[in-house]
Amino acid sequence: MTGETVLLAHDLSKDYPMNGEAVHALRGISLEVRSGEYVAVVGPSGSGKSTLLQLIGGIDIPSRGSVEIMGTSLGSLSDRQLTRLRLDRLGFVFQRFHLLPVLTARENVELPMAEAGMKGRERVARALELLGYVGLKHRAGHMVTQLSGGEMQRVAIARALANRPALLLADEPTGELDAATGEEILALFSRLNRDGTTLVVVTHDERLAAQAGRVIHMLDGRITPL
Amino acid sequence: MASGAHPAFGALGPRVSGLGWLKSLGRHRLRTALSIAGIAISGAMLLDMVMLSGGIEKSFAEMLLARGYQIRLTPKGTLPFDTEATLSGAGELIATLRRDTAIESAGAVLGTSLYGRVRDSLVTLFGYGIQPEAQSLYVLESGRDLLPGDSLSILLSTPAARLLGASIGDTVTLVGRLDPQVVTASVGRRLVVRGMVHWVYDYRGQPSVGTVLPVMQTLANERARDRASLLIVKVRDDRAVDEVATRLGTAFPRLEVNSVADLVRHFKQRLVYFRQLSYILGSMSLIVTVLLIATLLTITVNERLGEIATLRAIGISQATVIRQVLVEGTALTIIGGALGIVLGIATARYLDSILTSFPGLPAAFSFFVPRRESLATAGLVLLVTGSLAGLYPAWLAARAPIAATLRAEAT
Repeated sequence: MTGETVLLAHDLSKDYPMNGEAVHALRGISLEVRSGEYVAVVGPSGSGKSTLLQLIGGIDIPSRGSVEIMGTSLGSLSDRQLTRLRLDRLGFVFQRFHLLPVLTARENVELPMAEAGMKGRERVARALELLGYVGLKHRAGHMVTQLSGGEMQRVAIARALANRPALLLADEPTGELDAATGEEILALFSRLNRDGTTLVVVTHDERLAAQAGRVIHMLDGRITPL
Repeated sequence: MASGAHPAFGALGPRVSGLGWLKSLGRHRLRTALSIAGIAISGAMLLDMVMLSGGIEKSFAEMLLARGYQIRLTPKGTLPFDTEATLSGAGELIATLRRDTAIESAGAVLGTSLYGRVRDSLVTLFGYGIQPEAQSLYVLESGRDLLPGDSLSILLSTPAARLLGASIGDTVTLVGRLDPQVVTASVGRRLVVRGMVHWVYDYRGQPSVGTVLPVMQTLANERARDRASLLIVKVRDDRAVDEVATRLGTAFPRLEVNSVADLVRHFKQRLVYFRQLSYILGSMSLIVTVLLIATLLTITVNERLGEIATLRAIGISQATVIRQVLVEGTALTIIGGALGIVLGIATARYLDSILTSFPGLPAAFSFFVPRRESLATAGLVLLVTGSLAGLYPAWLAARAPIAATLRAEAT
């Protein structure tokens, strides 16, 4: 059940200077993700998975090549436009959750909606709906510091879904969780995809990769066949 | 794709933005409390310096105008009560002044030291010779005022009454200058106490008495030449004071004619170092405030770089991040500044009580005058500089490289 092209990366390369020499983190990667797809990017540490995710998420700039999200070339956007695109079209889930510890679960979910200009009452209703979706409505008023790791990651997923993104990007979403909690997150990702969310997940977790519709293997900054 | 202008900060409801960010001040409560205390102390110092820089002259002017007399005439080259110099022919001068239609009231004052007899000993007093119909020196507290020409009555300050052991209705004996050869009084007068007064220019605890001018002139041995220390003039129209003062200066070339504004100007010249000192100390307190806020926010921003990078990654704009940091700086300034105002007023009162207890200073005189303008000036200056102090940390936060920070956070 796939549709239009959500992500189109062409000949992506990323070089970092390190001790006076260039480190080639990515070497000419091309990738297309269509609406409704569930793509897992796997590979050993240092293979360039997270760098790829940052480039396609518009939070880093490629040394060469191009990225298009829903037909918009990221290279043509100003920093402000890029920020707005991330807000409106993309959702991010990080390994370490990165929630604001001084806010409640609901307030964390509200943040991107508030930035997008959604009115208070509508925002609260949507945040509660999303927390209900990830099974945490009863914890909406709790400070995130009072939540378990799995609960925090579910809040982070709800936050990523806040503005109905065209593409959800997750970087090692089970990396900080124990096996049982990780299972809950895996199940949640499967459900998200079944419900129509397009996913690109960078992971070491074989269980997560196994449930993806497509698995991309990376090694030394390149996509490799199995 | 939506691009261009979007509600950056205004759209962020206080519940998830401003308040959320302000809540982060509570992450390290002790550190925040210490910073607020520092801002409060430097804010208090700033306020005190602002009050001090303009307060002395304001207090001086208020004191001079306490009874509404705007012009003083003194012997050439002197200021009122600055020396013991006196002018002669006071009655004639006053009569001339009172004929001037622009002048509502004029009176002569003689200030001199004298003695009061208490049983077999003498106590030192300060005496004012006044013209009751035109007096600018006291406020009646109890009893009744002197009547013009009442040469049998006297007014006492509370310290003088205490020293003389006298109250209203009692008779006291005043003694004029002592003969230095035999240490005996040249002249003495018995007078009935009619009222208790507060002398506007007295220092704290000063034992002062007042009689009609001729009596005091007699006691001071100045009657023959009808001498007075100064003449005071009340002009009908406040707007005409300068013009009348200039005219009197021309009409009485042997006298020094000063309006209150002139006296304040003279006073300001004498206080120039005082004012410079208050400006320097005020500026230093502002710098301390800026450093405190900038340091605290820089530390806070550095600690939260990962958080900020995440916010930027999920689409929170640079403008929002900058404003949030500035909001935090402003909040610190407002809280610290509010405490600083309370602390500053309390400190000013305490310091004022110490400084005005110095001998020779009028008790009505204040070094620190809490005026609405000084409070507003100090508050505004503190708020602006405190808010601006957040600019560097805000810039730091906005410029944090998202990808590199997230990579560093992940390792």
